[in-house]
Amino acid sequence: MLSTLQHRWTGFYLLLMALAALSLFLYGYFPIKYHTGQISRRNHLPTSINGVPIDGQQVYNPGETSVILMVIDGLRYDFVTEEYMPFTGQLLKNKSACVYVSVAEPPTVTMPRIKSPERKVEKAQWRRTINFWRDIFAMMTGSISTFADVALNFGAPAVTGDSVLRVAQSRKKKSVMYGDDTWLRLFPGMWAESDGTTSFYVTDYTEVDNNVTRHLDKVLTPDEKNKPTFDFLVFHYLGLDHIGHLEGARSPKIKPKLIEMDEVVKKIYKEMSKWDRTGVLFVCGDHGMRDAGGHGGASSSEVLVPLVVAKTNDYLCPYDNGRGPYVAQVDLAPSIAWLLDSPIPGDSTGRVLPSLLPRDTLQQLYLLHYVAAHNARAVALQLGQTPKEKEFYKQYERAQAQFAHYLTTKQESAAKIAKEFYEQALTEMSKYLTESTVEFDMFAIVSALVVLYAVTVALVCVTLYSLQTEERRRHSVTRHLHRRTQAGALVAFVIVLCVALFTLTVACAISESKSNLCSYDPNWIPVFIAIAAGLTFTFFLIKTAIENDFDLNVLKDLNAIDYLLIGGTVFHAWSFLGTSFIEEEHMTWYFFWNTLMFFVLIRTVVVVVMYLSKKLLGATEVQEKPHLEERMSAGISIMPKWVALIALHRYLRTMNQTGDRWLFLPDTADWLNAPENSDYLQAHVIVGTLLTAVICLRNVKFTNNSMYLQSLLTILSTICIFCYRLASKSVDPTATFIDIQSWDTVDIVNVFWALLIIQTMLEISSFIGLLKPFTGKAGHPNFEPVNNKQFVYIKPKAKTEDYVYGTDDDEPFNCSEVKMNLACSLTHLMYNHMMLIIILLMRPHNVIMVPSIYVTCQLTSECLDHKLLDSRPGRKTEALDVLSRTLAHIWIGYVFFFYQGNSNSLASVDLSAGYVGLRDYCAARVALRMGLHAHAAPAHAGAALLAAAARGRHYTSVSLGSAGCGGLRDYCAARVALRMGLHAHAAAARGRHYQRYLKSLWQISNILALQRVYQVCVYAAIATAFRHHLFVWTVFSPKLLYDFVATVFTAQALFTIVNIILVTNWTNVVAKAVATKSRL
Amino acid sequence: MFTLNNQLEMKKITVSSLISCIYLPSIVTVISYKGLLYTVGNGSSFYILVLIFVAEILKAFYLSESNNEAQQKRSKPGKSRASDIVKSFIFLLCVMFCFFVGIILFGAPVLESHEETLMLSALLTLLTVFPLIAHAGVETSMQLLFGVKSYTKDSIFEMLVNNSILTVCGAWLGAVVIPLDWNTPWQQWPIPCYLGALGGYLLSNATNCRRTCLGTCRLRVAATSRSVLRRRTRLYSDIYVSQNRFRVLARETELPATSV
Repeated sequence: MLSTLQHRWTGFYLLLMALAALSLFLYGYFPIKYHTGQISRRNHLPTSINGVPIDGQQVYNPGETSVILMVIDGLRYDFVTEEYMPFTGQLLKNKSACVYVSVAEPPTVTMPRIKSPERKVEKAQWRRTINFWRDIFAMMTGSISTFADVALNFGAPAVTGDSVLRVAQSRKKKSVMYGDDTWLRLFPGMWAESDGTTSFYVTDYTEVDNNVTRHLDKVLTPDEKNKPTFDFLVFHYLGLDHIGHLEGARSPKIKPKLIEMDEVVKKIYKEMSKWDRTGVLFVCGDHGMRDAGGHGGASSSEVLVPLVVAKTNDYLCPYDNGRGPYVAQVDLAPSIAWLLDSPIPGDSTGRVLPSLLPRDTLQQLYLLHYVAAHNARAVALQLGQTPKEKEFYKQYERAQAQFAHYLTTKQESAAKIAKEFYEQALTEMSKYLTESTVEFDMFAIVSALVVLYAVTVALVCVTLYSLQTEERRRHSVTRHLHRRTQAGALVAFVIVLCVALFTLTVACAISESKSNLCSYDPNWIPVFIAIAAGLTFTFFLIKTAIENDFDLNVLKDLNAIDYLLIGGTVFHAWSFLGTSFIEEEHMTWYFFWNTLMFFVLIRTVVVVVMYLSKKLLGATEVQEKPHLEERMSAGISIMPKWVALIALHRYLRTMNQTGDRWLFLPDTADWLNAPENSDYLQAHVIVGTLLTAVICLRNVKFTNNSMYLQSLLTILSTICIFCYRLASKSVDPTATFIDIQSWDTVDIVNVFWALLIIQTMLEISSFIGLLKPFTGKAGHPNFEPVNNKQFVYIKPKAKTEDYVYGTDDDEPFNCSEVKMNLACSLTHLMYNHMMLIIILLMRPHNVIMVPSIYVTCQLTSECLDHKLLDSRPGRKTEALDVLSRTLAHIWIGYVFFFYQGNSNSLASVDLSAGYVGLRDYCAARVALRMGLHAHAAPAHAGAALLAAAARGRHYTSVSLGSAGCGGLRDYCAARVALRMGLHAHAAAARGRHYQRYLKSLWQISNILALQRVYQVCVYAAIATAFRHHLFVWTVFSPKLLYDFVATVFTAQALFTIVNIILVTNWTNVVAKAVATKSRL
Repeated sequence: MFTLNNQLEMKKITVSSLISCIYLPSIVTVISYKGLLYTVGNGSSFYILVLIFVAEILKAFYLSESNNEAQQKRSKPGKSRASDIVKSFIFLLCVMFCFFVGIILFGAPVLESHEETLMLSALLTLLTVFPLIAHAGVETSMQLLFGVKSYTKDSIFEMLVNNSILTVCGAWLGAVVIPLDWNTPWQQWPIPCYLGALGGYLLSNATNCRRTCLGTCRLRVAATSRSVLRRRTRLYSDIYVSQNRFRVLARETELPATSV
C-alpha cells in the first residue's frame, strides 16, 4: 500500500471515490420522485369491476358543476370563525359548508424590501415561485413535489406533467384565473382567461386584492341560460399575507381584511346559489402566519390552514359545527378533477374529500374504486410490480369483490363493506405514496457519509505524507520496503473486504432499512460491494500512513498567514451550521479574504519600515546581508501594488450584490447596465478583453516552439471575441465595424473553437517534430537551436561517436527537459484557452473579473512567499509555499465566485451563458457552459496555480527582485548554458526541475482534493443533521447541488493535470520514435 | 502575555485596568438603560467618545505622572508641549483616516453611512492609538506600532499594545453577526463592530487585572521570602557571604533584579 500512498494520483482517485459517495448521498437525500409523467385520459375509467361490467363514463359524471378555488394567502385555521368571517362561520354552523384542517408545507418567503431593478426582480420572482410551487403543485397535480422537481425545472418553472388544469382543458372546460401570476407561470397556456398580478410591493395590501375583486362581478354573472361562463375559477388573494408581513396577525388591519374576504365568499356563494348549475367553492390558505407577523416557521399557527368546502345543491356537512378532520393538500386535485367530470391527474396520490362524495351508492363506490385503482396503479408503477403482498392491496381487492357483489345483487350491506374497505385501502395507499416520496434513504445517506469520512481521513494522511521533506520520506521507504509481499497484501485486502461486507450486511439487517442498498437487487449489489471496497481501500491507506509515522517538521515553520489560511479553510466548512452563513457564504469569504489581505499588508509594511529604519540608523546588518536588501526592495515594490489590489477588490465586491438579505440593494452592475451608462459598460468589456489578451500573449511566451504563430492565433481569437460582442450588441460598433453586427454569433463562436483547437494541435505536433517548416532548424541535432526559444531534442553526448542509439531510451535525449517544456506550454495554453472561453461566456460587466483574477493570483503568489515574509533565512519552505499558495488560490476562486454574482441559491444560475454559440438546445453542451460560467473563478484560479507550478518560479529563482520574469530569467540561464555547450548540465537542471514540478503537482492535487472532500464531508453531515429543517429546500439542498458541481469541477481539474502529464509522456514517446526514424 | 517588572508598574496597570473595567461598563449600562444603545453609530452618540477621551486622558496622566524622575527630566518643559499636542493630534487624525479607509476597504458601505463608519474609526483610534500616544508620545508609539522598537522591557507598553490588538480583534469579530438573519436592531452597521471593539478592550483590561492580581500574589510570596531572608542574614556574621547568598536566593525565587 505504500506505493499507493506515494502514488502521484492517489488524491485524484480518492476524490473520485468521494464524488461517487456524494452521488450516493444525493441519491439518498433527494427522494426519487416517481413522476410517471403519465397523462390520464377519460377512457382510463374502469369499465368493469372484477369482471362485472359497468358504464364508467356515465356513473362517473358528477353532473354539471362549476368549481371556484379561492386561495387566500396567509389564511390560518383560527381565522375561519364567526368572529373574523361572519358569513363563513354561519355557513359552517348550519352545516352548509365544511372546514378541514390541511397541513401546509412550511414556506420560506423573503420579500424584497425596496424597489429593485428589473434584473433582480427575476431572481425574486423565482424565489416566490418556489414558495408557491409546493402548494400549488400539490393542489393542482395531486402529488407532492420534491426538490428534484424544482432543481430540474429552474429555468422554466412550469409544470410539465399532468395536472387538474390539463385534464380540465382536455375535457374542454374553461379555466379562469385572477390573482398572483405564479399560477400563470406554472401552468402556461391552460387558461381561457386570466389576469395576473405581481406581488412585489409588500406595502400594498389593498390594490393587490382590488385587482382580483374587480373581476368578481363580471365573471360571476351567469350567461342567458343562467349558467356561469366558466368551469374552473381560481382567485388568489395576497393582501392578508402582506398585512401579516407588515404588522403581524394581531394587527387591527387583519379584521377588516378578513371581513372583506368574507364579503367575497358571501358574494360568490349567493351568486352560486342563483345558478342553474351546481357550484362548489373551496376556500383555502397556503400557509398561516405568526402572531408576530411573517412566516417561515413550523409552529401550528403557521402550518395549519383551513380548507373550506361549500356546495350549493344537495350538501350537508357530516361533521359537528362543520369542523372536519385533517386532510392532505393533495386531496384537492382528485376532488376538483372529479367535479369537473375529468379523469384524475396522472400523478395524483390523493383521494376525494369525504364530504363531497356523492349520495348515490353506486356513484360513490365507483368513485372510490376509481381513485383506489388509480393509486394502486401508482404504487405498482413505483414498485415495478403489483404490490400483491401489501395489506392495502389485499384490502383493495376485497373491496373490489364486495363492490362486484353489490353490482350483481344490489345488497346494501355489501356496499357498506365495500366502502369501508375502499376507504381503509385508500388511507393506507396515500400514506405509502406520501412516505415513499418524501422519505430519506437513511441507509444510503449514512453509508455515503461513512465513506466520505474515511476518504477525508485518507486524504489528510496522503496530504501530510506528501508535505514531508524528501529525506524523511526516503528513509521511511527503505524501512518499510520489504514488509509485506504482494500475495500477503492481496489476502489481507480480501479479508478486510469480507469484514466490511459482513459489517454492511449486519448493519442492513439491524437497521431493517427499506433502502435499495439492502434489497440485494442485482443492480444494487455492485454499489454495495463498491462501498465495502472503498472502505477497505481507505482503511489500508490510513493504516499504512499511520505506520509510517510522519515527520511534520515542515509544519513548524508555518507563519501567521499560513495559520489564517488553514484555520479559515477549516472553519469555513463548519460555518454552514448556520443557515445564514450558507445563504451569505460570500460574507464569510470576503471577511477571510480581507483579513488575509490586511495581514499581508501589515506584514509588508512592517518589513519595509523595519528595513528603512535600520538603513537610516546605519545598522551594519544591512550592509552585511545583501539578500536582506533584496527582500526589502521587493517588499517596497509590492506594497503599492498590494494597496491597489485591495482597492480593486473593494470595487469588484460592489459589482454584484449576492446572497439573500442584501440581494436587492443596487450595485455597480445595475448602474453599468443602465442604458445611460452604456459607455462605461463598454469600457469595462473592452478593457477586460484587451487585458486578457495581453495576459494571454505573456503566457504564450511559455510555449516554446512556435511562439509567433501562437501569438497570432491568440490575437485572432481575441478578435473573434470582439466580433461576438459586437454581434451580440453588447458593444456598440464604430462606423467601420458596423457590418459585423449582422454576423451570426454561432459562426463566430465556431471559428473561435477552431482557433483554440488549432493552437493545441500545433503545440503538440511541434513537439513531436512534425512541424519543421514552422519550427525552423529544430529537430536536427547538429544545429545549435538556441537563437530563439525553440526547443529540440538534444543528445547530451552527441559528440561521442561510438554511442549506440536506442539501447537505453532515456539516455540519449534530454527527455525530462522536453517533458517539462511541453507540460509548461500545455498548461499555459490551457490557461489561455480557459481565460478566453470565460471571457466569451461572461456577462459584459463581469469581463473585468478575468484579468483581476490573474493579477490577484500573481500578486498573492509573490506576497505569500515564505522567504519574503519570514525573517529567518535558509529554511526549506517549498512544501509550505505549495500549501499556502494552493489554499490562497482556493480562496481567490471562492471570492471571485461570489464577486461574479453567484450565490448558493439556484436563482443565481445564469442561464444565458448556457446558450452562447449554440443554435439549438443540447443538454450536455448547455450544462457544460453553465457550469463553466458559474465556476469560472475557481477554475481560473486553479489553472493559474497550475501554470505557476509549471513555470516553477518559486522553485528556481530565489531572488525576488524580478517578480514577473523570474521564470524567464531561469529560462535564460538554461539558454546560456546551452549556448555554452553545457548541454548535459542544463538538461540535468531542467530534469530536476521536472521532478520538482511533478512533486509540487502531487502536493497541489492532494491539497485541492482534501479541501474539497473535507468541505463536502462536513457539509453532508450538517445537511443530514438538518434534514428536517425548514430551509432544507431553499438553503440546504441548493448548496448540496452547488457542492456536487464544485466537486465535479475539482475532479475535472485534477483530471486535466493527469491528462497533461499523460499527453506529455505520450508525446515524448511519439517524438522519440519520429526523431529516431528521421535519423535512420 | 507580559511579565511584571516591579510593583509600581504593576500597581499602575492594575489601577488603570480597573478604571477601564469600571467606566466602560458603566457607560454601556447607562446608555442601554436610556435606550440609546442602538444609536451608538450616529453622530449623536459623540458624547460617548468624549467620555472615553476624558477617561483615557486621565488614565494616561495617572500612568505617566508618577514615572520616575529620569523620564520627567528627559521630557522638555514648556514650549515643545504645545507642538507635541499638535503633532499627536495630527497623528491621531491620520490614524483615524487610516482606520476609516481600512474599514471601508474591509466592506463597509462606500457611498453612504460615512457618519457611522467615522464614529467607529474614531472609537478604534481612541481605544488603540490614543492611549499609546498619551503615554509615550508620537515617535515612540510609531516605533512601537511598526515593530522597530520592542516593548518587552516595559510592561505598561505591553499592556497598551495588547489592549489595542484585542480591541481591533473585537471589532473584527463583531462583524461576524452581521450576516445572520435574525433581523435584530443591533445588527445594523456599525453597532456589532462598535460593541465588539468595546468588548475587546474590556476583555483585555479584565485579563490585565486578573494577571496583575495573580502577579500580586506571587510578589507577596516573594516579599515574605525576602523578609525571611533579611532576618536570616542578620544571623550571619559575614555580611558579604550573606549578600551573595541573598542574590542567589533572589535569583531562585525569581525576584527581579531591580527590586532587590
